[in-house]
Amino acid sequence: MEIQYIGEHLAYGKLGNLFIVLSFTASLLSAISYLLSVFNKKGDNQTWLKIARTSFVIHGVSVFGIIGIIFFLIHGHFFEYFYVWQHSSTMLPVKYMWACFWEGQEGSFLLWTFWHVILGAIIVKKGNEWESPVMVTLMLIQVFLASMVLGLEFYGIKIGSNPFILLRNHPDFANLPFIHLPEYLSKIKDGRGLNPLLQNYWMVIHPPTLFLGFASTAIPFAFAMAGLLTGKIKEWVKPALPWAYFSVMILGTGILMGGAWAYEALSFGGFWAWDPVENASLVPWLTLVGAAHVMLINNKNGTSLLSSFILTTVTFLLILYSTFLTRSGILGNTSVHAFTDLGMSGQLLLYMVFFIVMSVGLLIYHRKKVNPLQEDEKIQSREFWMFMGMLILVISAVQITITTSIPVINKIFGSKMAPPADAVNFYNSWQIPLSVVISLLIAIGQFFKWNNSNMKDVAKKLTISFIVAVLLTAIIEYTFRFDRYQYILLLFSSLWAFTANLDYLVRIIKGKLPYSGASIAHMGIALILLGSLISNTEKSIISRNVLNVDLGKDFSNKENILLYKGDTLAMGEYYVTYKGKEKIGVNIYYEIEYLKAQHETGKFEKAFSLKPIVQINERMGNVSEPATEKFYNKDIYTHITYAEVDDKEPASNEDVYKKPVTRTVAIGDTIITSNSLVTFMALNKTQDKKSLFLDESDIAVGAQLSVVDINRKVHISEPIFIIKGSSVFTKEAEIPELGLKFGFNKILPDSNKIEITVFEKKSNSREFVIMKAIIFPQINILWIGAILMIIGTWVTIVKRIRDLKSSKK
Amino acid sequence: MKKMHIIAIVVIAIGLAVIVSTISNSSTYAPFSAAINHEGNTYHIVGKVDKTKDFIYNPEVNANLFGFYLVDNEGTEKKVLYDGAKPQDFERAEQIVVIGKMDKDEFHASQILMKCPSKYNGDKPDQMKVTSSLTK
Repeated sequence: MEIQYIGEHLAYGKLGNLFIVLSFTASLLSAISYLLSVFNKKGDNQTWLKIARTSFVIHGVSVFGIIGIIFFLIHGHFFEYFYVWQHSSTMLPVKYMWACFWEGQEGSFLLWTFWHVILGAIIVKKGNEWESPVMVTLMLIQVFLASMVLGLEFYGIKIGSNPFILLRNHPDFANLPFIHLPEYLSKIKDGRGLNPLLQNYWMVIHPPTLFLGFASTAIPFAFAMAGLLTGKIKEWVKPALPWAYFSVMILGTGILMGGAWAYEALSFGGFWAWDPVENASLVPWLTLVGAAHVMLINNKNGTSLLSSFILTTVTFLLILYSTFLTRSGILGNTSVHAFTDLGMSGQLLLYMVFFIVMSVGLLIYHRKKVNPLQEDEKIQSREFWMFMGMLILVISAVQITITTSIPVINKIFGSKMAPPADAVNFYNSWQIPLSVVISLLIAIGQFFKWNNSNMKDVAKKLTISFIVAVLLTAIIEYTFRFDRYQYILLLFSSLWAFTANLDYLVRIIKGKLPYSGASIAHMGIALILLGSLISNTEKSIISRNVLNVDLGKDFSNKENILLYKGDTLAMGEYYVTYKGKEKIGVNIYYEIEYLKAQHETGKFEKAFSLKPIVQINERMGNVSEPATEKFYNKDIYTHITYAEVDDKEPASNEDVYKKPVTRTVAIGDTIITSNSLVTFMALNKTQDKKSLFLDESDIAVGAQLSVVDINRKVHISEPIFIIKGSSVFTKEAEIPELGLKFGFNKILPDSNKIEITVFEKKSNSREFVIMKAIIFPQINILWIGAILMIIGTWVTIVKRIRDLKSSKK
Repeated sequence: MKKMHIIAIVVIAIGLAVIVSTISNSSTYAPFSAAINHEGNTYHIVGKVDKTKDFIYNPEVNANLFGFYLVDNEGTEKKVLYDGAKPQDFERAEQIVVIGKMDKDEFHASQILMKCPSKYNGDKPDQMKVTSSLTK
């Protein structure tokens, strides 16, 4: 007999599954009908077009339906659904409902599908003669994406992962006995919830932006395929141009947001860490920028057609590849982000292979028409330098891809390569020289005219910006003193890229907005490079540990500073005090006060206060979240590297000593206790033996210890070593004020050393934090650059759309 | 010969240089035995933290020295010393990767990679937690 479960809401899941099946079949039908409408030149192509559009609408409505139902389930806390249980909880604020939705793989695939529907709707509405051929590819992509949430199993092959699977049917739960009780649902009080680390506004804005970026790369690709399908080998470029720049803008924004998130809320210690997951989205952006530039060349003079095809296709394929990398679990040990395999690697591979075969096949079919062999651009032309820029971007992309793909290479060849031990330096050693070349090209590019230009004229126009850049380089170099020639070169080239484009904007375009997109965006890129150069190479770790014992060259790291509660230590130009901690929800805030010393009075004055966080995270271990004080010219970044999270139990007995520590010291050596610095000054052989109840023949030697406490107060303590007859004693000396006691138990005459035992009261161990503080100078240049790049690209998009409209008239 | 041909050759040459440099700069995943045989070379060692042994971390003496015992995939156990603060919540780390070299009988790690479940992760539910909440 089937069990009747109590309290389940199965109807929504059934409706959701209906939408899933519908969205899959409708996308397939739409793709086929669009294809038929392209190839049926006779009257019935209108019929196919109608079917195609209708099924697109059904597909779109279904996708909205699926998403709507998931939201409804999350909002209603219907924990009988695994996805809801896994990603949400009753305590979660409403603003994070969105984040719950795309935290899971299924949700993020749906988000991606959703953006394709939106972009597809624009193509259907505005695409005119391009609608059918472009939609063929887009709908084929939708077929694959829709299959990712199907959740069917054929002969043991899993197709997709269904977001509406019930908790009691999920493999992780199905074997638990309680799940088969009719009232099981009443036992499940709450969902597992959204990972607290992701309860962050970035999690609300970053994924939709990045996925819109991903989705938008499909449009230039679909246009390229449309050109091949219809035989309009050249015409596709112009209508695809605004889309290519749209994609550059959105994907670029998404990547930068990721960097900002990492910098602000994760303790990567910087903006960019060359993590495989970051690289996976940067590489397609690089090829996309290359694609957009060669498409501009083609739009101008008809050359670079093959490169336009290759780069739009490669960009799209790289997006698929990056999805594969980040979701198949293949990155495994190489990334600090671990992604579990949902068993869909095969499906993702098939997705990739399908579009590789389709694009390569179509290109080979049309190979005669896209033959670039007769092309040869003059080096006095703008297109030549743009083409060079594209090649550099491709080289940069290749270098990042190969290094990031080491786990994939291992999988294919069975090798055991690991990423370079110092990955960041390895990437930088390639990417910095490439950035130098790129920024030089950005500087000179626009001063060349299309087709042909007078070299003398170009040189003359570039002189002023060149001189200004040299001067600025000298000034900045004087301030920061970069010691590597690579850095100085990048400093100069990025400055020149900035000044040259500013010059072009002012003197040649004369500030006319529609034409200024390229200059503004390039100035932005220049500032991004400049800002990351200065903030990264000149970052200084001001937390220098001076208290600890030096353990030699191999362990020379002094970046983490130990700070006792209430103590004030000098750090850079500041003094810092750890004031205490406060627990709010899952977060523990550690209040670190930065003080400045007043020269006149010698008093400390509070400069600012930071509250870095340690988050008690059940799901991924405790996480440290930095806090940053922003100034116009620098950021002071502070994060807790280690702290005792639990509150210490108050010492039950004030007089209990900790396990004593014995040290062997020579005269002048120091011993560190938790609250003082002890120096062994001298041996004192003149002891008053009577008061010690000793005979004149007995031996008594004192060890004079100078004990400096944190208030710089000096205490003198003298434990005594006694030999009475054949027995050895020690007379301990106590400093009650500091909770310290010393014993003197051995003399080592061979080495002129003695053994001192230190007793410390338990109540002495005070609360402390270990923290790291880094100054990132001029990081605002980077953010300003990012904003300029986005604005500049937007101006370009508007210009391209206008051109497109005017060319139709 | 056209300019484009020369450029193509240069690009291919740089491409080859990229591949060669990637291979020559890459490190190797290896067990401790390999690191012992080639003292001074950098290795990535994958292993499990031995939780039966105490961690060595005494921030009051040195906040930048952390030590623990790691068992590699061959079952060899070595003491690992890390030049830095103890990573937050190291107690919960299961499989980790240490990057560094052997020095006498100790492995000196310059980096520790701990797995942290991330954005698109659906890690296994904690079954213990589910069952324990039922008994209440």
